[in-house]
Amino acid sequence: MSLVELQGIKKFFDNVRAVDGIELEIEDGEFLVILGPSGCGKTTLMRMIAGLEKPTAGQIFIGGEDVTALPPRKRGVSMVFQSYALYPHMNVFNNIAFPLKAQSREKKYDKRAIRDKVENTARLLEIDMLLDRRPRQLSGGQRQRVAIARAMVTQPAVLLLDEPLSNLDAKLRANARDELKEFQRSSNITAVFVTHDQIEAMGLGDRIVVMSQGKIQQIGTPQFIYDDPANEFVATFLGSPSMNILRSEVFSFGFRPENFLPKTLADNPENSRIFHYYIKRVEYLGSDRLLYGYVHGHDNELTLAKVPSNVRVALDVDCDYEFAVHNSDIKFFDRQSGQRIEQQNLQGVV
Amino acid sequence: MASGAAVLNPRRYLMDDRRFVGVIFLAPALLYILLLVGLPFLLAIAFGFSDVTVGNTELNFVGFDNFVAVWENDIFRQVFSNTVMFTLISQVFILIFANILAIIFTQEFTGKWFARFIFILPWATPVSLAAIGWLWMFDTKYSPIDYLLLQTGFLGPKGILSNSRNLFWLANPALSQISVIFVQVWRMTPLATVILMAGLSSIPTDILDQAEVDGSRFMRTLLQIKLPLILPIMVIALLFSMITMFGDMTVVYVLTRGGPVDYTRIIGLYSFQIGIEGGNLAQGAAMALFAFPLLLALALLMLRTASRAEVR
Amino acid sequence: MALLIWILQNFWSLLVLSFATLVGLRIAYRFRKYGATRAELSHILRRSPFYLVVLIFCFFAAAPFMIMFLHSFKVDGDLYRRPQPFVYRQDPTLEHLESLFTNTAYLDFIRNSVVVGIAVVIITLILALPAAYALARLTGRWGERAGILMFLVYLVPPTLLFIPMFRIVVMLGLKDSPLALIVVYPSFTVPFSMWLLQGFFKAVPPELEEAALVDGFNRVEAFLRVVLPLSLPGIISTIVFTFTLTLHEFIYALVFITNTSRRTLSVGVPTELILGDVYFWQPLLAAALIIAIPVGFAYNLFLDSLVQGFTMGAVKG
Repeated sequence: MSLVELQGIKKFFDNVRAVDGIELEIEDGEFLVILGPSGCGKTTLMRMIAGLEKPTAGQIFIGGEDVTALPPRKRGVSMVFQSYALYPHMNVFNNIAFPLKAQSREKKYDKRAIRDKVENTARLLEIDMLLDRRPRQLSGGQRQRVAIARAMVTQPAVLLLDEPLSNLDAKLRANARDELKEFQRSSNITAVFVTHDQIEAMGLGDRIVVMSQGKIQQIGTPQFIYDDPANEFVATFLGSPSMNILRSEVFSFGFRPENFLPKTLADNPENSRIFHYYIKRVEYLGSDRLLYGYVHGHDNELTLAKVPSNVRVALDVDCDYEFAVHNSDIKFFDRQSGQRIEQQNLQGVV
Repeated sequence: MASGAAVLNPRRYLMDDRRFVGVIFLAPALLYILLLVGLPFLLAIAFGFSDVTVGNTELNFVGFDNFVAVWENDIFRQVFSNTVMFTLISQVFILIFANILAIIFTQEFTGKWFARFIFILPWATPVSLAAIGWLWMFDTKYSPIDYLLLQTGFLGPKGILSNSRNLFWLANPALSQISVIFVQVWRMTPLATVILMAGLSSIPTDILDQAEVDGSRFMRTLLQIKLPLILPIMVIALLFSMITMFGDMTVVYVLTRGGPVDYTRIIGLYSFQIGIEGGNLAQGAAMALFAFPLLLALALLMLRTASRAEVR
Repeated sequence: MALLIWILQNFWSLLVLSFATLVGLRIAYRFRKYGATRAELSHILRRSPFYLVVLIFCFFAAAPFMIMFLHSFKVDGDLYRRPQPFVYRQDPTLEHLESLFTNTAYLDFIRNSVVVGIAVVIITLILALPAAYALARLTGRWGERAGILMFLVYLVPPTLLFIPMFRIVVMLGLKDSPLALIVVYPSFTVPFSMWLLQGFFKAVPPELEEAALVDGFNRVEAFLRVVLPLSLPGIISTIVFTFTLTLHEFIYALVFITNTSRRTLSVGVPTELILGDVYFWQPLLAAALIIAIPVGFAYNLFLDSLVQGFTMGAVKG
């Protein structure tokens, strides 16, 4: 039995289908990332798990119990908001103690128990020296830790995180990502993390749910989703620069820029497909060279190649070269639906 | 089906339901207000069509008799035109002064806090008390204004304005009207100014910075950027102070009680004098109702402007 | 006392002198900071018309209050017999101020106004706090309509309502009772406060309430524990303006209360301190000024917060 189960969840705002039929199971102890562009319904989905929004249709189970009609406080979830939502009129101690006091009707905590719990949680997150401060006296990273501490202090069944890293500057973010993952693993809590940042998603998630237009596009481990995208959307949304998509009569096919290499560098050219590639522009990115150009026969579809800089091959602008992609790295998609087509089903056409 | 727990336990989570809490939070205030304003309002209409007096509380339906009587009353016609005239003329001045003052008080300058304190006083002081100050300023015999005019040669035996030593501000028909309008402008300008200040300070600084970068100087920015942007708020300020003035009788009550003759009598005061002091509740109510369509039109106009301003 | 006499006797010279000193200090300060250059001089010249306009407006706004102050301390002979309104020919006196507090019902008026004001503020808060929160956050479109209805109600003037209300008040036996005012005043203070509070509530980030919901509170508790403490400055300014609204109200107070000692300030002072057509000018002017100054201070102190509340209320959340 999964810890969290979503069955046929829909949410319409007036006529906008924000979330449109979601089936999802979240396992105990896993770090699940919901990834998608803004407006894809990922935050709405998380808010429905939290109980902040009521689904238009469908049911939500947490720990086997139907919680669809329950208010947030009865669900055993906690949440870290994008803005952290720390109570500005309380110091850090009271911020962290707030959920304990709030739930004291069900579980009676005495003052000592509250103090112990707050201090333990604060120590775990290394903010025990900040307990007397007000939120506005804290740095961005400290605020984030306080928010997580507040969410963790009640030992919830599920920890929901709504883009909690997006307010940090880039330097802090990598560090915070690392610590968050470490913290989740050591405390073995079930975490659901919403983000639009694929690097965060790939780095943090045990599994990733890719969402678009209110629907789940694909679920799987980061590696699986990257290597085997279920459709054109997932293929182009993940990866930077994104997958090249070239169109032909009945299907489109795509390959990643890092798999698109000069023929001379290809491992086994006999199992590869060869393209005539015209280079229009070269960008040096330090470790890589990023090539912009066109594949022969697809003169309107900008195609990118990412070649490691340490490969000593002359690649000049305004020249034609032979480039190769290994057959297994080429993915085929239906031109109408965008869905993946297995290669063997295309034998006759290719 | 989907809300199994709620069906099992319908009352337990009401305090979590957005709509339920919204209703119980809003209902008391809404009921109180509707009762307190709606009931008298309906009663006012009922009174208007009846022959009720302070002595005789029976409500007998008399149709439009009261309204006809009121309209055929020459005094009331004068009163009605006074009300409209006072309101319109004072709005012109209020708008001019409020615009100037709003621009002044959205600038930074030395002594701003003190200047603002002074200029808010007329609005902060209860109207009836501020009017007492003016009653003294306009006193028939001891008016400080008259004294100044006397010293500067405008009054007195060889005076330019009058040979007398006094102008009789509140006894002379034209002057009494001017005085009343002046006091209304004096006390209402700060409110309009504050509303306009709110409008001016809500203009995004981006837009003003852009104008500056584009090379726009103070006057151009003012006339082509600021004023057009606060036009809806200006309309709101105008309608708001019109409605307030229409429904007020304090200034004339303290200054003149409607005199000399009927030159400064306005609807609110007259309906008080007929309805309460004269005991003819029915006619008093009918008079007050005469102004209502006008007020309603103003209010609706105001709401429309406000909702359009929000869209921007 | 001696100081007061001295101030009053030299009122105008003091006013001009202190103003000149301030201007001089300011110019000296700028000279020290930027140097007494020609550019600085021309800057001062260019700014002076602006200050002149400010000064003129201030003069008109303040004139009656200056006269109130100046004339409250004149003995009758100085005030009436030889009209020299702007200077003291005879020594100032506190006699009229004393008689205002001892011989008139002025203290009763103040007490009545305070009692009515506080009671109305309490009723208004009880009704308007939750209602404004509901309008700001909890209700959708119909709540918006209710808000507009409230606003329309606020615009129905007392001149239209006082006659039927008088009837009702008499029927309920509340005539001459402060209860009449306490019951009726919320009809305009509640819509006003709701509009203002709604603006302050909208300024509280919704995520804070949602955090409280997830942390274990229901909506009512989230409102009490998170939204109210955070809106405290706005609530205080609402209290101030609600109180002054009751202080300003004239028509209902005039119609409902006719017993001298039961009257409130706004009606008591202009009607009861005048005997027939005999005006006791000094106490009358002092009575007005004593109220005007503190209310003026309160307004100035809370004006920014009032403006903020109104603009927030106008912007949809």
